[in-house]
Amino acid sequence: MGHGRCYAVAPDLLSDDEEGFVAQAGQDLDVPAELVGQAQDAAGACPEYAITFTKS
Amino acid sequence: MTPRSGCPVSHTDYTRESEIYGHYALLDEEREAERFHFNDTTERGFWMLTRYEDVLAGFQNHANWTTAVRTALFPGSTIELFPQDLNGEEHQKFRRILNPFFSPAAVRRMEELAHSRCVELLEELAPQGHCNFVAEFAIRYPTDLFLVLMGLPVQDGDFFLPWTEEMFGCMLQGDLDGAAVPKAKILAYFQEAVDERRANPRDPAEDMVTRLVQAELDGEPLSDDTILTTCMSIMLAGLDTTRSALGYIFAHLARNDEDRALLIEEPERTRDAVEEFIRLYPLVIQAGREVQEAEDFRGLEMAPKDVVWLGIGSANRDPRKYEDPDRFVLGRPGLNQHLAFGAGPHRCLGMHLARLELAVVLEEWHKVIPHYRIKEGTELIERGSQLTLKDLELEWDV
Repeated sequence: MGHGRCYAVAPDLLSDDEEGFVAQAGQDLDVPAELVGQAQDAAGACPEYAITFTKS
Repeated sequence: MTPRSGCPVSHTDYTRESEIYGHYALLDEEREAERFHFNDTTERGFWMLTRYEDVLAGFQNHANWTTAVRTALFPGSTIELFPQDLNGEEHQKFRRILNPFFSPAAVRRMEELAHSRCVELLEELAPQGHCNFVAEFAIRYPTDLFLVLMGLPVQDGDFFLPWTEEMFGCMLQGDLDGAAVPKAKILAYFQEAVDERRANPRDPAEDMVTRLVQAELDGEPLSDDTILTTCMSIMLAGLDTTRSALGYIFAHLARNDEDRALLIEEPERTRDAVEEFIRLYPLVIQAGREVQEAEDFRGLEMAPKDVVWLGIGSANRDPRKYEDPDRFVLGRPGLNQHLAFGAGPHRCLGMHLARLELAVVLEEWHKVIPHYRIKEGTELIERGSQLTLKDLELEWDV
């Protein structure tokens, strides 16, 4: 079960599964311009530091 | 105990009680004085990791640092807890059985009931004009929700609560003999529920005891012993902590009018406030770990069976991570990365339920009792080991 911080702060980008893990774990997500703020928040929200946000 | 070299020694006994915030003061001092200490106040002693980065690394070093010791202060504790005592793959499998009952999705389903139960308790309480908050409301409410979570009758809180209080009291002083008496009563109570669910199973997707009764680990059903221990572990993990968190929160709000006013005027900020309170006032000030194989950890030469203190309390207030760390500040960068619920595979299973409970109390209490104070003459004393205020007499005008 995850900390749930990422999908809490980025509800338009990430979602939770029934066990509380982030449904998009392991995926590379392309972030649309208007959701960059949420993506950065999510990267800064994880107590496990499991999320990286990079510009390409 | 073998003396250690490589870092200074701490003689601070964190099991002793102090005035409110006394333990945070000690933790802050030690963290700033030196990066690492070896504490010699217990028979085995323990390495103290107190700074945010090191504590995080410690939680993530779970392959070699296991919960063979769960608390640095009482490393020989022989009360078995599931799933806390498991490690590695076994632990993960067990958690997966429980996850669906503690996930944010599951907790969302409890939200309506959490509100209505809180409102009921407050309707009884408000006309009194006073209460000993930590001994009454703050422990009653989490107990009721625990019973709801377990699919047990809320009214059973009447007799269940004194047993759990007795058990906590003994355990947190390392008195395992004393704890055995209430423990037996609690286990017998859970055994009744287990027997009932075997005879009349409910939906395992919604009823935790049914789920445990029907679950399999590596193709084998769980023994009654394991099921009972799991129920008790959940109970022990979730009641005293939540009660204690409420105590610190309300002590703060009773004495900080601006923060209380903010919550009343802007209830939409309740969730943020809850998270900041959790960061600022952790009750579980340390998690224990036992080193399995010899390891050099950032210059510390650790031997097998060494005990490590992962300093949650000091990490959360580390100025290297949080500016002005001992102040209540909303909107902090990095707030969500606090370690009050731990990190790694043993992170707190009840964290989402805890967040809900705290938020619900903050919302509902202030609708009914927006202004309150600590009764004059109340001495605010906190227990050691796992913090709680021993008394919090609140009063308000009716």
